[in-house]
Amino acid sequence: MTKVGVIGAGMTLFRRRLQETGKEMCFEATKMALDSAGLTRADVNMVVCGTAPDAFDGVAMKGEYLLDGSGGYRKPYTRVFTGGGTGVFSTIAGWWHVASGLADVVLVVNEEKMSSCQPHPQSVFANIWDPILDRPLKPNLVWIFAMEMNRYMTVYGVKKEDIARVAVKNKRNAVGHPCAQLADPNITVDDVLKSEVMAWPVQRLDISPPSDGASAVILASEDFIRKRRIKDRAWISGVGWCIDSTMWTDRDLVFPEYVARAAKHAYKMAKIDEPRRQIDFAEPYDPFDYKELHHLEGLLLADKGEAPVLTREGVTERDGKLPVCPSGGLLGVGNPIAATMGMKIGELFWQLTGQAGKRQIPHEVHTGVSQAWGDLMQYGSVVVMKG
Amino acid sequence: MTFLERTTDARKFRHWEGDVEADYIYTSGVAGERFFVALRDEGRMLASRCAACKLDYLPPRMFCEDCFAELTEYVDVPRAGQVAAVTVAHVDRTGAKLSQPQVWAFVTFEGIRGGLFHRLLVAPKQARAGLSVRVRLKPRNGRTGTIADIEGFEPVRSRI
Repeated sequence: MTKVGVIGAGMTLFRRRLQETGKEMCFEATKMALDSAGLTRADVNMVVCGTAPDAFDGVAMKGEYLLDGSGGYRKPYTRVFTGGGTGVFSTIAGWWHVASGLADVVLVVNEEKMSSCQPHPQSVFANIWDPILDRPLKPNLVWIFAMEMNRYMTVYGVKKEDIARVAVKNKRNAVGHPCAQLADPNITVDDVLKSEVMAWPVQRLDISPPSDGASAVILASEDFIRKRRIKDRAWISGVGWCIDSTMWTDRDLVFPEYVARAAKHAYKMAKIDEPRRQIDFAEPYDPFDYKELHHLEGLLLADKGEAPVLTREGVTERDGKLPVCPSGGLLGVGNPIAATMGMKIGELFWQLTGQAGKRQIPHEVHTGVSQAWGDLMQYGSVVVMKG
Repeated sequence: MTFLERTTDARKFRHWEGDVEADYIYTSGVAGERFFVALRDEGRMLASRCAACKLDYLPPRMFCEDCFAELTEYVDVPRAGQVAAVTVAHVDRTGAKLSQPQVWAFVTFEGIRGGLFHRLLVAPKQARAGLSVRVRLKPRNGRTGTIADIEGFEPVRSRI
């Protein structure tokens, strides 16, 4: 198998509504990634586009619609989609294009323009449910997450303030991110606890709202990286992905088994048998503050029920022993579903190549893991990268 | 049993009726802003130019899909275009019969990459590819900066 490195990354501003069309956002992110790698579109062999259901942008066959901005014109081009899991999964798809020896350089472009959908993208989320069992009851997606959060709190006796600390940490971390929509240097646990209740225990500041945005990364073979003498690269050393039962009522709401299985696959590939010792920092998917905790446990970086304790003790702060979401994550930077690749794969690349600027972890880091979560809270995708 | 007793009425089975409700507001984008404002305010049709690839895009794009340069130069589209293809529609998008057939065309312009799809303002029996046409816009006070500011394309000869 060919060794694959990430050699460039780019992302647009994340905002509730951007003037740019979806393809214009893709162009901006792609151009930035190409420029950062010192490549042009002509160097790219194949393109992977990652983007969520067509209904968010309101354009059917969205992959085809986005292809010009994504650099796909007259190239082998594929759209992939695994819900929010696309944020990491599209890079896995790009990885296999190169690892298989089919391509030397692959561009991965993720996009979401959720502001098109009126009055709120929630109307699209309303249709992901089973049409017979769930939809007649008209659930809001947040209700189900609230139950998962409640179950997690109940089983481990977790206090709401310990979960709110995640939102505070990530929104503060995002202050150093030039694309951030939700950065707040002064936010406190109290602000989170006093924010509007959406579906108890989920409150307004526990959630990342929908956004417009795009991100891009460039993957290349070891040969290409050597020949071009590319210095800024981070190697993809492990990948894994897994999906749980189609029935959300059949899943373990306390422990994300699908994340653990994806992580074990990625760790095995990366020759990691003690993740807590061998992984220096993590970018787990954090659309809700409790999900960062959930996912840290799924990634085997905390014992079951231990993630809130690590958070309270400051272990997951940027200068802690295990920095978690140093980018600011979805809670701080924003949540244009697939485009969150910018904080997951992009951040690993920037941290491992020392290009994270104000967000740079102050101590040396060699190995990072990123993870995304998607479909109807059942999909885990994991990538391990080494400097 | 489904296959033996086919029915086209889904309500004969146990079911739940649901709507997929979603409305949209689409931004015109950066290039779209230039195009539609010039169309509305000045009655001009603009293409965006890629100097490196020596081509002009209509509708204008913010970037060249080939060399991937950002495009900031805009040029006027020639006044006269050519009908590249026509169709005469007898049913609307829901399949319902139209009271009058409608003529639609794809119009291209010399030296321009792309073209516009719009109404062809001729009788159905006069609709043919190769016609030389120009754009007919709504009056200035009726224009709002959308593709509907264009009424359609009319033969160049009809106004001469």
